[in-house]
Amino acid sequence: MNTGPYSDEKVKKFLEEQFVPIRSQCYWDKPTEPMQRFGIKWTPTFLVLDADGKEHHRFVGFVPVDDLFANLGLGKGKLLYDTDRMAEAMVQFQTVIDRHPDAGATPEAVFLQGVAGFKDTHDPKALRRAYDSLKAKYPQSEWARRADPYSAIPL
Amino acid sequence: MGEIRWETDVNAGVEKARKSGKPVFLDFWFDG
Repeated sequence: MNTGPYSDEKVKKFLEEQFVPIRSQCYWDKPTEPMQRFGIKWTPTFLVLDADGKEHHRFVGFVPVDDLFANLGLGKGKLLYDTDRMAEAMVQFQTVIDRHPDAGATPEAVFLQGVAGFKDTHDPKALRRAYDSLKAKYPQSEWARRADPYSAIPL
Repeated sequence: MGEIRWETDVNAGVEKARKSGKPVFLDFWFDG
């Protein structure tokens, strides 16, 4: 069962320490109750849930180790963000940004860090800084385009 | 470190998360 990124020692340690890891087998001819509950249409589909089972992040398709770590970190950040723990969410998003700058999930972490920073401090400069960072580091990402309105915020 | 100790029952895994306070990483997979 522990093939691909799961054979990586750091992934094993991170999943064991930071999450309750669950693998649920899918059957397309007879979808399981969890498949139906979470609307699973393709595999692999990965979810980050809170301790009450509520979904906060989803990604679909094979991911190499760096992308897996970034998505796990992003998922933890979105869990904190969704539950209005903005200061903690900012720390979590910054961890993703610092440790996984080349991962596909990282531009979303930059965007949400700006939003969480604004919500935490009510300072719109947090949004402008997110825009500047996205434009500088991830100009082709959709998150840079989503942040475009923040370019008008003065620093 | 050995193998990841995967929970295979989603409801049991969420119950474990509720008790531990940890988030859940849930991997839906297909043995094709």
